[in-house]
Formats: sequence, structure tokens, C-alpha cells
Amino acid sequence: MNKAQALSPLGKRFKKSFAFYFFMLPGIIYFALFHYFPIFNMYIAFKEFNLAGEGDWIGIANFVEMFSSSKFYQVVGNTLILSGFNILLQMSVVIVISLLLNEIRFRLFKRTIQTIIYLPHFLSWVVVASVFHLILSPQTGIVNVLIQIFGGKPIYFLGKEEWWRPVYLFILLWREIGWGTVIYLAALSGIDPQLYEAANIDGANRFTQMRVITIPHLIPTMVAVLIWNLSKVLNLFHSVLVLYSPAVYDVSDVIETYVFRKGIQDGSYGYATAVGIFKAIIAFILVISANKIVKKLRGEAII
Amino acid sequence: MVEKLSFSKGQRLRALFIIANIMFFILIGIIVLVPLWKVIADSFDEKASLIQFRMLPADFTLDAYKMILEQDRLYRPFLISVATTVIGTLCSLTVTTLFAYGLSQKELLGKKIFLTYVLVTMVFRAGIIPIYTAVSKLGLVDTLISVVVIILVDAYYLILMKNFFSTIPVDIIDAAEIDGCSPLRVFMQIILPLSKAGLAAIGLFIVVNYWNMFFEYLMFINDTKLYNFQVKVRELVLNADTAGMEQTEFSTQTLRNSVVVLTIVPVLILYPIVQKYFVTGVNLGAVKE
Repeated sequence: MNKAQALSPLGKRFKKSFAFYFFMLPGIIYFALFHYFPIFNMYIAFKEFNLAGEGDWIGIANFVEMFSSSKFYQVVGNTLILSGFNILLQMSVVIVISLLLNEIRFRLFKRTIQTIIYLPHFLSWVVVASVFHLILSPQTGIVNVLIQIFGGKPIYFLGKEEWWRPVYLFILLWREIGWGTVIYLAALSGIDPQLYEAANIDGANRFTQMRVITIPHLIPTMVAVLIWNLSKVLNLFHSVLVLYSPAVYDVSDVIETYVFRKGIQDGSYGYATAVGIFKAIIAFILVISANKIVKKLRGEAII
Repeated sequence: MVEKLSFSKGQRLRALFIIANIMFFILIGIIVLVPLWKVIADSFDEKASLIQFRMLPADFTLDAYKMILEQDRLYRPFLISVATTVIGTLCSLTVTTLFAYGLSQKELLGKKIFLTYVLVTMVFRAGIIPIYTAVSKLGLVDTLISVVVIILVDAYYLILMKNFFSTIPVDIIDAAEIDGCSPLRVFMQIILPLSKAGLAAIGLFIVVNYWNMFFEYLMFINDTKLYNFQVKVRELVLNADTAGMEQTEFSTQTLRNSVVVLTIVPVLILYPIVQKYFVTGVNLGAVKE
């Protein structure tokens, strides 16, 4: 901060701030009611609280039940497997796509492709799930029609355990592949063109240029994106909720969908909150550490 | 001579790469567009359930869209979507920009406290059950107020807006204040007109968020009359077996496709504008406190 811009005395500052407190009031109330009040409500994890209503304090019984339930380990496992594969697949494909897109010199073509591949990101998960539900349908879906034309048997992609995970990962990729390139393309456009000119004079071909100039410049962005994605490893939710079904719960049920079913549908509010607290605490630790690491690496925090 | 030959060989490789690269992106474009195109085509296809490979309607019809216009159970959710999106976006923009403008004041007393107050909510989330409990205790379950207010202020957009306001030169504001303008008048008549790009950027994202909302409806709303279009689409397409669809003279498959199309259309209309501004959004994101 600039020393010349010294702050006014407290009294004067308060007087000047007063009007702005009124400006901020509705927002402050919003955060109080819909963020802090829910945080306060987490106490129900220590209560017996189900459809019968709010019962007695039962200490950590809900947490004991959680850690002794095999279903809990299954949903944590599913979350980590789906998220892990998604992060690896998504990052590698998005980086390759960004590098290749950056090589395209026809501006109109490049812009058209960008327009097309960014689009799915703005469609809701209900729409994305519906689109794939329709084209993958075992009866009328175009994919199965093609399989049958080539003499195969129709496959119920979203209803079979062996198919659900790869299909789910593909759908995630389909939605986010374009949007993911935005940050890399921004980083690529920030590279000094003089570096490439110098490399050209030295006789380096395009692939050498990519190896010695482009990729090293992208590494900080890659690391930041990787760490940031890892910190959100537990956050899969809406995409699973619209794509899974009871037939594939064993391979698809993640922490949040489990919490949703246990809590909102079965009414075991206390138990579901306990599982939610487990998730919230791990997610908090991950985000804070990720922010610290990125700050160290890039000198600039995300939050 | 040898050198010249290798040079042209290099050019050939380069040309080959350029062509292969373009083909690759055409393929990617097709993979992204074909699923959407197929749904649009089938929404106009009287025989959408016909098992046959085709990319255009076998029998063109507008019946599905007419049916949506005629049946209360179908157009009502659409109107609810429109209403909550319009009201939600206006409320959200008002509350967010007012809060952001306050936070952007250099001399605001307690600025750090307010910023922390917001940032905490970005890293620690209570989770769905405590949020449900809170909304329930506030008596908002089964009202549309719940789905409008639940995403009223997004901490991320708030910080973006605050950073945007911080870039406006202080001299302009000082001059207005000397002329005797109240802070509210300065905000309405000077700050907001100068912030059109920022407002458009976050406004469009907010519109998309309200339009695309579905989970909050599942959580807070039991009265099926209050469902929005996304939830209706989920019911018709994803939970088709349990939804108890009445059989009509034309294929219900056509209707399924057409409701999906109707959910996409508003996004498609807004999309070119969104695209123009999301770069602003991303750039704003780079300006950190």
C-alpha cells in the first residue's frame, strides 16, 4: 500500500463508512442466514434427529455409526476413484487440446471451434444428462441403433455397472473439455512472441519450440490447476445425481449423493449431517492447503 | 540442394500437421454437436421412437411444442423458470453490487472483517442437510423464495465486482461528493453506468445459474406445482418410468426431446453475449486482492 495515501482518523472513517454499511446490509444478512446459520445448524450431527423430529443429544454416536458402516467407505472410495480418474483424464486431454488449438492460425476457424466446445459448460446437468440419456437409450438411442446395425447387442450404458464409470467420465469430459482450455489459452497468449522469433532464428522447429518454450511456460498454470482440482476431489455431486440409478449405486454412489438420500429422502438428518461434516472438514483442509501451496508456487493465492 | 530438399520436406510435414490438426478439431466439434443436434432433430420427429439411424426427422411435426403450449403441467414449470430467473437475477445483482461497492471503499472501517466474513463461506460450506434445516427453520420450504434467495450472493462474483469497482478512479467519485451527491446517488448515477461490462459479465452468469437450477428445487420443494422446467425435464426424461406419463397419440419420445430443447434455447440465445463477456469475467478473476 502507498504510504502517501494515509488513512483518515477513525472517527472520520466511521462517518464515511456509515452509509456503506447500509449498502452491505442485505448481503451481510444473506450470508448470515444461508451460510452461517447452516454452519450453526451442524450441531444436529450430535443429536438424534430423524423424521420423528429433533431428539436427544447422543454425542458422537452418528460418527461411530458412520465409521462402522461399510456403505460409508464405499461412497468415499467411489468419490476418490471417480474424481481421481476425472482429474487425470480431464487435465491431460484439456492440455493437449489447448496446445493444439493454440497452433491453429485461421482465426475464424479457431473462434468457431472455441464457441462450439465452450457451449456444453453452460448447459445444466439435467440437460446434459437428458441428452446422453436419450442418445444412449438401449431402445431408441442412436448409439445403440448403430451398434445393432453393426450386428451387436444393445448396451444399457447408464444402467450397467461395468459401463457406468467410463460413460460418466466421458460425459464429464464432453461438458468441460472446452471450458477447461480457457485458463491454458490465457496462459499461452501471455507468452512473449519474441521468444518464438528468437527460437525461429536459431532454427528451432515448431515441436522444439513447444518443448522448450510453450510447455515450460504452461507448467505453473498446470500445477495450479492440478492442485486446485485435487482440493475439490470430494465435490462430485450434481453430475452423479442426474446420471446414476439404483442399479449402479455400487459403482456410482458418492459422498454427497449418499448424504442427500440419507438426509432428504430417508430423513436421517443427524446421521447425514455427520457424514456431511466429515466431508466439509476434509474439503476445508484440502482447499486451505491448496491455496497455500499455490501461493508459494505462484506468489498469488486463488482465494 | 540437399538443404533445400530438407527444407521443403519440413514444410510438407508442417502442412500435414496443420491439416491433421484441423481435421482433429472438426472431429471434436462433431462430438460436441452431434448429441445436441440429435435431440433437436428428434424433437421435431413424429417417429422419434423409431429404431433407425437418421440425423433428420423421419416425419416432421410441431406437435410436441404445441402440446407444451397447451398443457398446464408443461408450460407452468417453464413460466416458473422464467419468473425465478428474472426476479432472482435482479435481486442478486442488486444485493451483490451494493455489497461489492461497500467493500470496494478504500477507507471502509472494518473492511478486513467483512472480507473474511465472505471468504470463510467460500472455503467452509455447511453441506446440504444443515442448509436444508436452516431453510426449513426459516419457514421457506415449499416456497419459491427459498430457491431465489439460496444463491442470492455468490462470494466469487462478489469479489469480482468489488475488484471491478476498485478500478474506477476515485477522482470521479470525489468530484461528485463535493457537488453534494449522496453515496447512493453516486452509486446509481456514476458507478453503475461505468460498470456495464462487469455487470453484464456477472449478470449473465447469474442468469445461467438461476435458469439451470434444479437441485435446490429437489431439496426445498415438495409441491410439484412449484417445480421449474429443469425439474420437469428430469421427471420426463431421466425418471420416465416413475413419472406416470400419459400415452398420447404421438410418440412421448418426441416430447422428451422437445422439453430438453426448450431448456437449451434460452442458453443458446444468451450464449453469444455470454461468450463476449466471459473473457472479461476471467480477466477480472485475475485481479486479486
